[in-house]
Amino acid sequence: MRHSQRIGRLSAALLLVATTVAACGGSQDDDAKASAPKAPAAIPELTKDPLTLSFIWFEWPPAQALEAFANEEYKKERPNVTVKVNTVPNANWHDAMFTQFAARKTDFDVAILDSQHIGEAVTNGNILDLTDFVKNNIDVDAYDPYLLAAYGQFPQAETGQRDENASLYGLPLLGDTWTMIYRKDLIGDKPPQTWDEMISAAEKCQADNPGVSGLAFHQANGSDAAAVTYNTVNGVYGGNLWDAKNRKIEGVLNDAAGQEAMDVLVTKMKPLTAKGSGNWFIDEVNAAVAQGKACIAFNWIAASGGLLDPKQSTLGKTREQILGKLGFATLPKQKTDLVPLGGMGMHVSAYASSANQAEALSFMKWFEQADVQKKWAAAGGVPSRKDALASPEFLNAGPFNKVYADSVPRMRDMWNVPEYARLVDIENTNVNAALNGAKSPKDALNDIAKDQQAVLDSSNRKGGGGL
Amino acid sequence: MSEPVSLTTDRPGQADTPKPPAPGRSRRLTDRRLAVAFIAPALLLLLAMSVFPLLWALYLSFTDYSATRGGPANFVWFGNYTAILTSAQVHLRALTTLVYVVGAVGLQTALGFTIAYLISRRTRGRGLLTTLFLVPMMLSPVVVGLFWRFMLDAQFGVVNSMLGSLGLGQVEWLTRQRTALLSLIVVDTWQWTPFIMLIALAGLTAVPKYLYEAASIDRASEWFRFRTITLPLVWPLLLIAVLFRAIEAFRLFDLVYILTSGGPGVSTETLSFHVYKVAFLGFNTGTASAYGILMVLVVIVLTQLYLRYLNKLKED
Repeated sequence: MRHSQRIGRLSAALLLVATTVAACGGSQDDDAKASAPKAPAAIPELTKDPLTLSFIWFEWPPAQALEAFANEEYKKERPNVTVKVNTVPNANWHDAMFTQFAARKTDFDVAILDSQHIGEAVTNGNILDLTDFVKNNIDVDAYDPYLLAAYGQFPQAETGQRDENASLYGLPLLGDTWTMIYRKDLIGDKPPQTWDEMISAAEKCQADNPGVSGLAFHQANGSDAAAVTYNTVNGVYGGNLWDAKNRKIEGVLNDAAGQEAMDVLVTKMKPLTAKGSGNWFIDEVNAAVAQGKACIAFNWIAASGGLLDPKQSTLGKTREQILGKLGFATLPKQKTDLVPLGGMGMHVSAYASSANQAEALSFMKWFEQADVQKKWAAAGGVPSRKDALASPEFLNAGPFNKVYADSVPRMRDMWNVPEYARLVDIENTNVNAALNGAKSPKDALNDIAKDQQAVLDSSNRKGGGGL
Repeated sequence: MSEPVSLTTDRPGQADTPKPPAPGRSRRLTDRRLAVAFIAPALLLLLAMSVFPLLWALYLSFTDYSATRGGPANFVWFGNYTAILTSAQVHLRALTTLVYVVGAVGLQTALGFTIAYLISRRTRGRGLLTTLFLVPMMLSPVVVGLFWRFMLDAQFGVVNSMLGSLGLGQVEWLTRQRTALLSLIVVDTWQWTPFIMLIALAGLTAVPKYLYEAASIDRASEWFRFRTITLPLVWPLLLIAVLFRAIEAFRLFDLVYILTSGGPGVSTETLSFHVYKVAFLGFNTGTASAYGILMVLVVIVLTQLYLRYLNKLKED
């Protein structure tokens, strides 16, 4: 009996060791895939069997628009292909993609990455290098160079430019930026032209209209909500997020311009927001506008379509009535005219099957054609091709589309580095703390600069990374 | 019908004698082997799903491994543990977690025991009342978090609306440092007080009636009966309920994620929420593993101390 007990224990130990060795075995492969694998320069032969092309995005109206559009239009080209856009809540978007990347197995073929996610995905070898494919299949001159760079290039492009020698890992899917939404019936038809004017108008509107707050903007500490808000004000007041060349944040972000921006945000803008709005993001800002509770609001253009829906608004019973009260404008200028770059690109998962990767490339080539981009614009999408941006299909599709077209030359992105997720979390939590009175503006900004610098400097640290 | 077979073999000084297999069974399939065959699937599952991940996490905790970056896991030995134990960020989260655990479990114990005591004194409708009180416990924490988030909303939440109708001002429940942690404690208490109540009720119903009868004959006051009969007999059971709740509260994640996302700033970030960020925002798998192991160790040590106290209480 003792003998059989010993055998039992030995078997259990062996099983454990075998499982451990099996789990460790992947590291050799991981080494080999340290950089992004290359996509073929030409689209391989496509399957004639039924195929589902899966995307992953977060839950918002453009996701449904993309699925409907692709299944209507792409099916005309490829009847055997069904496009499925899987969505997750915005706060889980990064995790949902990168936990699958970590498993080296994805249930999606095309990851719709934020521009800032590209660095992390490329460094880890999670998405295909599309440089050769783009050279042979995409008319790059048709694009605004910065948009092409922002949604595909790594290392990150300088603001407003594209490095033609850099590799491309994605193609634009949906352009986006912030629009200023203002109540024409409360502050007048002409939108404020400077940031100072905007604050004064909001202040006066709030005082004149009890129950309506002067401003509504993103303040939540999830996703990139509060961080984008601060970065926008930072840009407008002439600040910089970092010195990309020297990977320097401390002393750059929290310089005089950065401090002024934080002061404006916390001491001038925050008091004009609704009580308890310290956790507001896209939906809450839209709800405040739709319920007529905000004089001036800031939101992503791609998320603003619902504001014109009479079923969701108390501002009018028809779209025209609502448009009589709501105006959409580019962001006011102050010391600079910078606006935040939003939107996302399409990136092919390195772990999708070869048939699905081929189909993904075929889809991307089809999607980037001039006439398809115009149809996408008419269906509610925001294109990146210059011809589509200037087309009546796009400009007439929504009152905010002209705002986007006018904003393109003014865009600035955040940091596109592998450490992005941690950098944005540091900024989100600290800006949120400052907005909700948990930290003074000065301390919050200095903490952001110090902690973000520590993240950038900690690449060679032994142990304790991520704290 | 075959005779019952003893499953124990612990007879000192006597060698095990293999029992003959039951009629119709292969001679090679002894009772022992049959027992092993029955246990093996569960054992394998346990090894694969619990023991292996724990050992794997222990191994990773000594390395700088990152799940997304891949590459070999380089040993940093106790580097992760030292960094965690000396990190001001971790100390801050530990303090938040401690305040939360003490606040939530303390409140739940007081309320749960009170409700159980009041229910135990009723003779009619006790079953219905108990069932009604148990409803919050049966809901998913995510659902609870979501509807409390709406109820506590400063602008349109029902709580502020009621405060408003009473002439009181609006409270920023989820976006102010003090009220956010208090809100988490209140919501957790709303959901888990029934658990304490249930265990306390079981203890209260088990108190022998003759003790109360004897006390009545002696004309003992209500307070005296509670202090000398009810509480001492229910106390050990209540402490076990407190232990379960404290462990659960220590690893709180879901309510924080839904209600406050750890905000404002990081003022409601608990240890579990911080581990999640370390593990999935930067994918610092090695550090996150060490962090998780340390949390398990803390729970084990505290539980052991607690159980010793419980045993001492029994002996006394």
